[in-house]
Amino acid sequence: MNKRNEKLGWLFASPYLIYTLIFFLFPLLWAAYLAFTNWNTIAPEYDFVGLENFFNAFSSETVKAAFFVTYKFMLMFVPIVIIGSLFLAFLIHSLPKFKGLFSVGFFLPYLASGVASAIVVNGVLSYNSPFNEQLRSIGLDVDWLGSPILAPLIIALMMAWKFVGYYALLFLSGLESIPKEIYEAAEIDGAVGWKRFWHVTIPMLYPSFYTVTILAVGLMFGIFTEPYVLTGGGPEYATHTWQLEIYNQAFEKLNAGYGTAVAIINSIVTFLSIYIFKKVLEKWGAKHGWE
Amino acid sequence: MGGNKKKVKTFFLYVLAFVVLFIMVFPYLYMVLSSLAPWDEVDKRIFPTELSLRSYEWLFGGGENILPRPWLRAFFNSLFVTFTSTVLMMATAILVGYSITKLRFKGSKFINNVILFQMFYPAVILLIPLFLIIRSLGMYDTYWAMILPKAVSLWAIFMYTNYFRSIPNEVIEAAKIDGAGQLKIITKIIIPMSKSITTIIFLFLFMERWVELLWDMLVVKDENMLTLNVLLAQMFGPYGGYPGPMYAASVLLTLPILILFILFSKNFKKGMDFVLK
Repeated sequence: MNKRNEKLGWLFASPYLIYTLIFFLFPLLWAAYLAFTNWNTIAPEYDFVGLENFFNAFSSETVKAAFFVTYKFMLMFVPIVIIGSLFLAFLIHSLPKFKGLFSVGFFLPYLASGVASAIVVNGVLSYNSPFNEQLRSIGLDVDWLGSPILAPLIIALMMAWKFVGYYALLFLSGLESIPKEIYEAAEIDGAVGWKRFWHVTIPMLYPSFYTVTILAVGLMFGIFTEPYVLTGGGPEYATHTWQLEIYNQAFEKLNAGYGTAVAIINSIVTFLSIYIFKKVLEKWGAKHGWE
Repeated sequence: MGGNKKKVKTFFLYVLAFVVLFIMVFPYLYMVLSSLAPWDEVDKRIFPTELSLRSYEWLFGGGENILPRPWLRAFFNSLFVTFTSTVLMMATAILVGYSITKLRFKGSKFINNVILFQMFYPAVILLIPLFLIIRSLGMYDTYWAMILPKAVSLWAIFMYTNYFRSIPNEVIEAAKIDGAGQLKIITKIIIPMSKSITTIIFLFLFMERWVELLWDMLVVKDENMLTLNVLLAQMFGPYGGYPGPMYAASVLLTLPILILFILFSKNFKKGMDFVLK
């Protein structure tokens, strides 16, 4: 009986294991090797260049741009999406009926393709759009996608539009799991209205808050579609993300080795950033007695 | 008096909820209206004065005469690639999840650990070597290139593993006594028991595969092999003069997901509660 399970187990897992061997383990080892070469993906010959790719990446203006652009995105996206999704969660929570309908409705943007939403945003905001003509007729001349300050904000807002309903569901499930007894106990202690909100609801939501923040921070390291379609990384590299940098290096300029090195640096930066965010959030939570 | 105040408050909340809903769905609305507008009104006004199917005719007719594009073929490619990938991802996830939780063989713990390790591993490092592998396997410009590397979803395996743990082993033992084989147990007992989670996993996998841009863009160059998402992204610049059809293509790109979502929305909240846990 157990022998049979043994065989069946490996059999059921075998498609996954073969996949992992070919599409995970092998490319992983290859990446570790590629990053130290100057291969251009076409020529049969290439050299082993040691750490040169990494040094080049550290002094590269475009890598530097990607590094800072990510934090710039984060600075705009994370507060917007957290406040927005918290607001939506409270809104859904306080509706006596049709909670499901509204949560489904708010979730809809999550299903949109980045390409499709970029087409709408471009239609409305491109410099010669009728909307902008209108603005110019009242004396406001705004080049939304051509401004190094506004273009990242627009992409951050697009991402927020897309994710706010998803994260709201996370907050909502946090809200729904707060036991009624805690509110009752708080009421006896005199915590009502805003007091109750700050001292009971928000601390009880801490786990959802933690999850949403980490997800939102992680998301900013992997943006590709929106800037690729809408701004191409411009203007002046203001929306040049890590993924765009890796794509440009490896597939436009055909620097496979260098591109892999940048990808490795990106992963390390991502890992460290998320780690720091986690630690800060945990410390902050512990200081306030949340968990 | 207090009851009245509450009524006013509730009314106000619903007004607010509808306003927010309108803002959230507005880009979709704009997309649909623009796709149905006469060409001289696209991007000129939100509500067109009359409805026109010209953008869709243009799209289905292959587009520009000088440089026709296979829009319908791209739509089919998207459907085929996404559907096949999603079904494979579901099948592997169910099989692996089941073997880890219910067969509990000697290697299952090891496999579970490998999956967890992989989940936290940054996928971006694999992008370039994966592309090189696909190229050297001769899969460049084929459906295989878009399907095979996306035939396994670690997230789906993780979800199913967690879910199957909550299914009591007695159910399976009872079926075994009735003489059911493992495959029969999976198809007749496990899958029907996991309906709401399966719904959500399918929807998420389908959606994510459907909107994939980077990978599909890398491994396919032949015009007839492009997915709709890639064709649309590529045509964005040069077709700047055809905003109407771009909106029509966007609608086409959004429709299958919306249909799936509406079909599945009954199980949505229940499945979501598990996914968000």
